[in-house]
Amino acid sequence: MQVNSSSRLRSSQLERSPNTKSAFLYPRPSLPSLSTTSADNLPDARSYLQTKLDVPTKSLLSHDEYGICNNPDFRYTSSHNSRENSTISEVEDPSYFILISTYVSYVLLIVVGHMRDFFGKRMFKKHYKHLMPNNGYAALLSDFDSFYTRRLKLRIDDCFSRPTTGVPGRTIVTLDRDSADYNNTYNYSGTSTRCLNVSSYNYLGFAQARGGCADAVEDCIARYGVSAGGPRHEGGTLDLHHQAENLVAKFLGTEAAMLISMGFATNSTTIPALVNKGCLVISDELNHSSIRFGVRLSGASVRQYKHNDMKELENLLRETISQGQPRTHRPWKKILLIVEGLYSMEGTLVNLPVIMEMKKKYKFYLYIDEAHSIGALGPSGRGVCDYFGIDPRTIDISMGTVTKSFGAAGGYIAGSSDLVNRIRQRSHGMTYAESMSPPVLTQIISSLASITGVKEFIEGGDQVSEEIHPGPITYNTLPSWMTLPRDLLDGSEGKDRLRRLAFNARYLSSALRKMGFIMSGSRDSPIVPLFIFHPAKLPLFSRLMLERLTKDAASIVVVVVAYPATPLISGRVRFCLSSAHTKADIDELLRACDEVGDILQLKLSKRENKWTVEECIDRAVELVESEEA
Amino acid sequence: MYNELEGIAHYLQQLPGSSIFIRYVKSSYQNDPWRSLLELLLFLFALRVWLSKRTRRDAEKGFVGLSSTEIDELVDDWQPEPLVPQAEIKQAPTIIGPPSIKPKVSQPGQPSDKARQVTNLVSYNFLGLLGDQRIKDAATKALRVYGVGSCGPPGFYGTMDVHIDLEKSIAQTLGTESAIIYSQGFATITSVIPTFAKRGDIIVADEGCSFAIRKGLQISRSTVRWYKHNDMNSLETVLDSINREAKRRKAPLTRKFICSEGIFQNDGSLANLKRIIELKKKYKYRLILEESYSFGVVGNTGRGMTELYDIPAKEVDILVGSMANTLGSAGGFCAGESVVVEHQRINSAAFIFSASLPPMLAVSANETLSILNSSSGPNIVHSLQTNIASFRSVLSTIDSIELASHALSPIQHVFFSQSKELQIISTSQKEKSSEEERVEAVLGDICDDALVNGVFITVAGHLRGQESDIGALSAGSTGIRVAPGGAPPPTEPRASIKIAISSALSKKETEKAALVVKNSINRVLKRRA
Repeated sequence: MQVNSSSRLRSSQLERSPNTKSAFLYPRPSLPSLSTTSADNLPDARSYLQTKLDVPTKSLLSHDEYGICNNPDFRYTSSHNSRENSTISEVEDPSYFILISTYVSYVLLIVVGHMRDFFGKRMFKKHYKHLMPNNGYAALLSDFDSFYTRRLKLRIDDCFSRPTTGVPGRTIVTLDRDSADYNNTYNYSGTSTRCLNVSSYNYLGFAQARGGCADAVEDCIARYGVSAGGPRHEGGTLDLHHQAENLVAKFLGTEAAMLISMGFATNSTTIPALVNKGCLVISDELNHSSIRFGVRLSGASVRQYKHNDMKELENLLRETISQGQPRTHRPWKKILLIVEGLYSMEGTLVNLPVIMEMKKKYKFYLYIDEAHSIGALGPSGRGVCDYFGIDPRTIDISMGTVTKSFGAAGGYIAGSSDLVNRIRQRSHGMTYAESMSPPVLTQIISSLASITGVKEFIEGGDQVSEEIHPGPITYNTLPSWMTLPRDLLDGSEGKDRLRRLAFNARYLSSALRKMGFIMSGSRDSPIVPLFIFHPAKLPLFSRLMLERLTKDAASIVVVVVAYPATPLISGRVRFCLSSAHTKADIDELLRACDEVGDILQLKLSKRENKWTVEECIDRAVELVESEEA
Repeated sequence: MYNELEGIAHYLQQLPGSSIFIRYVKSSYQNDPWRSLLELLLFLFALRVWLSKRTRRDAEKGFVGLSSTEIDELVDDWQPEPLVPQAEIKQAPTIIGPPSIKPKVSQPGQPSDKARQVTNLVSYNFLGLLGDQRIKDAATKALRVYGVGSCGPPGFYGTMDVHIDLEKSIAQTLGTESAIIYSQGFATITSVIPTFAKRGDIIVADEGCSFAIRKGLQISRSTVRWYKHNDMNSLETVLDSINREAKRRKAPLTRKFICSEGIFQNDGSLANLKRIIELKKKYKYRLILEESYSFGVVGNTGRGMTELYDIPAKEVDILVGSMANTLGSAGGFCAGESVVVEHQRINSAAFIFSASLPPMLAVSANETLSILNSSSGPNIVHSLQTNIASFRSVLSTIDSIELASHALSPIQHVFFSQSKELQIISTSQKEKSSEEERVEAVLGDICDDALVNGVFITVAGHLRGQESDIGALSAGSTGIRVAPGGAPPPTEPRASIKIAISSALSKKETEKAALVVKNSINRVLKRRA
């Protein structure tokens, strides 16, 4: 089956003559005019993405960046429904045949890899120079550390780091490349392909080169330039920083917030400011690398518990508090529980209601990493607290990024003002790292304002008390020079974005389940992982989605993830949805998954009553609104 | 009893395949009771391992068995410390509007309309290109093609053509094979060091290294030995002693690195790269060089330390720099051989787990780089050097201060002289704070005074209490070991005022600003005396 499909793949590559592509890389494309709204002026768009829309468009948005989808049925509100178990983290087990054959595949890959290393080191010394002691220098890279990279990842390297150009919005333009030496080097043909983008972290669709936010950013560049000129504590604090931080705090419903110019560094430089030797960090086993990095820097003790397993967490808490520090049995100075709101590889949600209950009893501090959930979850986009209906002020520290939902870059730390002020003094990022760049701050301010809406522009907004959370902001919170279009100011566009994302997420997740794929995570999660298991199917899935076999079908770029980012057997593809996608985009994606799923035999679920893809597409609204999928 | 056994046997016989199992046991164990016993023991052992919980491991370390009610009591009794310790909140002044050379600055707590226009000796505007129209134009153009964020890590469609372009131009400017860009300058070195140096490897580092390097060394878990700040004899002695020790212990060959900064962030001194390269070759070490403050400002065309010492950049194995300082954008880079660079693309935490640099910032950095590489580059660098010299000449007349920074450094640190420092520490009212903080308080007064008189300067930021917290850096049961001729692990950096010189000012303006700083120093010291 696989042999067959790969030969078909090759023939399809031949059929795809260069005329479907365009010279888009160098020189850069000329700037499209601001009022462009249709998709048809881009020469590289393939038929589906070229489809003209008969919907009149009123805004300046570009359909390539932010799809036009005006049907009010395709909207949904993301919130916790206690009858649905949205925090479940178990995944249906595939058959033993799949498990065993996956292990066999890895064993084969590892054995072949070691054989190649064994002979290669003896026969082609030149290529292994950096792996062997050389002229008195130890090997730069250890054999063991780089084995995975050289022998497993390199084989499917064409599925990773595909270079792109243009806005990573609803569609993205990838630069075509091929390799003559098994992915060691790439040749760029100079052509490019516009693909449907279900890979970028663009939950609310703010990755835009046009529209109100981009216009504000342009004004900002003219006014401020691109750099704030230094670290925050050494003169790199601009008025914009204060304005953006105030707005982030207002948005989250906390007293204060601080911004750090890189998402990874937000965790890795703040955690050492909170805990040190004698403190205990309890961490979910699937926490992000930046959290581990920060904990390692802090010098605190760490204990892990099984992903989202509240029983094990409680046992661990009881054990650690009663036993105290190892050997000395002194009580812990403090215990910090670090969890993520939405886990980026699983699509699972933290079981926050249970954790809040435990927090009362066990007196630990809670640090929630909302990197993926802020903006993407909850009826008003305020993340997991909003989703579960929990007061954000009861969370000690909430951390998140503005990279993912708001199309900016960097992260925030929010909490009580006393706490945030003290973290400011102790966080590495505030003292040493460059402060956030003004255009990025402007993107944050304008996108957040469009979600909250501005009181003065909302009908009946003047009656809203300022204390209410989540509520609109006041006009004077925005920088005085900033002009935003009315549909951003009155929050209507922001609301629409939230509801579109919620619909898209639930639709895709439910439909793929119904079609018989093995999925993980909550149906409300905009991250939708689909299990592939076999390492050999991962690259095939990615390539088949890019080089669709059906005529006139849209190319789709997907993210495939395997060991070591996931457990060995659960290789998966991960779709990241966006408000920018239209229902038609999700339909197209479903058809593609159906097509590729049949070729690769991925519909492994043992469930009864599977639906066909067309059935799912026709009954989309019903699927989204039903309580079980 | 017998009946029960009979029952079990009967039950066993009813299991499918049990007859085969029983026949096998009977036939293979009949004549060999020892084997039966051994296998039974093995089976029981396996069962025990399987059933034992994780906490069993702790039992050996003194795990105390407690009843459920005892645990409940302990849980009720336990009171955690506050999440963040109480600290004095120091707030920095805010620049209202762009960080130009003459910005409006407001003091903390002051309304922004009371901000005064002052001369800016704080922002990293070394080349005077901050807010340059060419860069603004390039950024705007990039905005209209790429939007603001890159919305993804480099591995997942976050690598854009502009990132590849910038990597190429950095590699070309330096003359290395390849380069990789990170999305924050500070995070770069902290992530690069542990990518290559692992447990068991040896790093010989300058004791004056910056905080970011210290954190990188800490997280690498390598064995770290320190040499005296910028002292090449000390470096050689340390290298020599490590060699001898390795020979004596017949230690296996491990990776060995020397780690230094080009221009040191903490005091603005300049490393002796020539000698370091000689020593690294002699002792077969690899060199990690941090060029955040030297790239773009030293050397005739600003290509950094390697141009200054006329050494090909290829000789530096791992060269790290920042686009946030001289290039007036954001992010960091690491240049070197392609093996070095490609390894980071899949193994460096801050690279793979972080969204890539916003494309417009990559374009801006590239634009600054191309201005620097153009024919006007040497002039900009030259006027910066002139300004540094005139600034230094004004301040060198004060006795109570020390200008420890090198004459080429765009960052000039003003320290109090040792005797003055001691005097301040002993007469300080702030009894609770550390010695450095007492000095910083006086330096802060000077900065405030200068701001009132129209020059914006700042005390060098340090994380007091965290600087010397570098973990169990020198592995080994005997605790931290100091190599003969070397230095103990570094402690808190000395307090200083950090001044960023810019070529945007004329020579006269620089002198005028320096004079204001000088008067402020004298005034504050006089007031104290």
